Amino acid sequence: MPKEDKEMYDAIIIGAGMSGLVCGCYLAKAGMKVLIAEQHYKPGGYCSSFKRQGFTFDAAAHSFGSYRNGGNLNTVFKELDLDKRIPIKRYDPTDIVITPDYKIAFWIDHNKTIQELQKAFPNETKIRDFITFMANPKPVDIAAMRKKTFRDLLTQYFTNDELIAILSFPLFGNGGLPPSLMSAFTGSKIFTEFVLDGGYYPEGGMQALPDVLAKRFVELGGTLLLSSTVRKIKVRDNKISGVLFGKDNFVQSRYVISNCDARRTFFKLLGRKIISEELLDKLNNMTPTLSMFIIYIGIDKYFNALPNPCSTVWFLPRYDIEEMYLDAKSKNKTDLTKYLLRVSPDGKAILAMSNTSFKNKQYWNANKYNLLDTFIKLIEQSTIPNLSEHIVYREAATPYTLFRYTLNYMGASYGWESTTEQFADPDLRKPSFISNLYLTGHWTTYVQGIAGVVYLGYDTAKLIIRKEQKEKP
Amino acid sequence: MTTDNVEQEIISIISDVSGFDPEEIKPDINLQNELEIDSIKAIEITVAIEKKFKIQVRDEDVPKITTLRQAVELVNALISQKDANA
Repeated sequence: MPKEDKEMYDAIIIGAGMSGLVCGCYLAKAGMKVLIAEQHYKPGGYCSSFKRQGFTFDAAAHSFGSYRNGGNLNTVFKELDLDKRIPIKRYDPTDIVITPDYKIAFWIDHNKTIQELQKAFPNETKIRDFITFMANPKPVDIAAMRKKTFRDLLTQYFTNDELIAILSFPLFGNGGLPPSLMSAFTGSKIFTEFVLDGGYYPEGGMQALPDVLAKRFVELGGTLLLSSTVRKIKVRDNKISGVLFGKDNFVQSRYVISNCDARRTFFKLLGRKIISEELLDKLNNMTPTLSMFIIYIGIDKYFNALPNPCSTVWFLPRYDIEEMYLDAKSKNKTDLTKYLLRVSPDGKAILAMSNTSFKNKQYWNANKYNLLDTFIKLIEQSTIPNLSEHIVYREAATPYTLFRYTLNYMGASYGWESTTEQFADPDLRKPSFISNLYLTGHWTTYVQGIAGVVYLGYDTAKLIIRKEQKEKP
Repeated sequence: MTTDNVEQEIISIISDVSGFDPEEIKPDINLQNELEIDSIKAIEITVAIEKKFKIQVRDEDVPKITTLRQAVELVNALISQKDANA
């Protein structure tokens, strides 16, 4: 085939996760010819839903934050003309933390949250100061906490370890780290964007978000290829030349943006020969976040013991999150006593999950259904009495399932661990040794969750568009 | 490394992180307001500077960097401290 006849793109995006989709929309909107290639048969990655026996379950992500006026997600949806196309509701309270001694709700009205915390912890005098700081932090204040842990930040305000655990537990679920290991930067971002501005949910389930972005991307002239696995990123003279599908289907492109797993991008798609020894060492020594054991339960009807639909319930059986983290890292057991749980808006589907390590396929094949039963019993004992009498459908996803659907290394929930030690390396977002290659999504820097990866998709597109403008003759 | 080189290197880092053209990055430009440097980018710049000049920037110094000029002054000070300790 003569070269001119071959398809040529301005940009190819590997992976139709939320970050890749947002990036694709912005590039297409700027007039670039863009292809998004996704290995799965539907877009979304961890932000997706599936239907079984009439129930709709969110696969992993189950609500989102940062949708206030001026919030990153809100800005992106408005700029892409999507805010009116997709009905988004906010549920109140957004989160409820339940422990053997307390039940604390996080309300849309922060004053109500402050009052609840003050009532439960009358000796703590800086509750209002903390929530006020977290509700509207200045960028420099957050940037200046780079080497601090979230526990360092909390102990500037509080002395009670039970309160510290209650404020940290949603971050263990949303970031996979205990307060003494999580960087204060990431911890504050999660607290501000997921807890204080959390609880948003699209009508129809989480899949609605990637679906509406995918549709918009195609309207803007983009090409979306599902069930299409990129095998190689091709580089010529240290510059992107295109990607390879299958064995020899080369598609030319000026830019490549990888929205998939970082190790896969560097080791498999680029190949070890291309990357520096230093980066190779770094990647081999980096720790991914914990994975999740997730259960999906369909029930016959909404009953009284169920929590409010769409409020995320965090069950904290004890206050030592550091120990829970070490337990979760264990390679031969799965502790499900701490978990988060959420009832769907129609009150019929329940999603529950608990942080755990990857282990291996054999372990999960042998233990998946026992653990599913154990998990249901634990939920009955701690938050929803008589749950099993109402169950008509049950299924589980293991860390191996998460890996299989998304190719995230070790089924990691949130990319690399956001500890202070492994702080973002610029090469993980925009490798300096190859021009026109970008990475986006949760493996690239210290952002997390849907709000974080959406921000990155938007920011990556902006960097490319600015570069294009500079290079225009 | 001379002061001019330090400035050029920092401009190149800020240009990489912000996407703005090196020529637009003037000594007294406000990084946050005019170059859209948010908290994530402020950290990306700090990490890149540490890597490039093999220095350690203290957390309390990060808020002091609001312009290119201040960044250059801080890096020069840290380089001379490092040389003095070597």
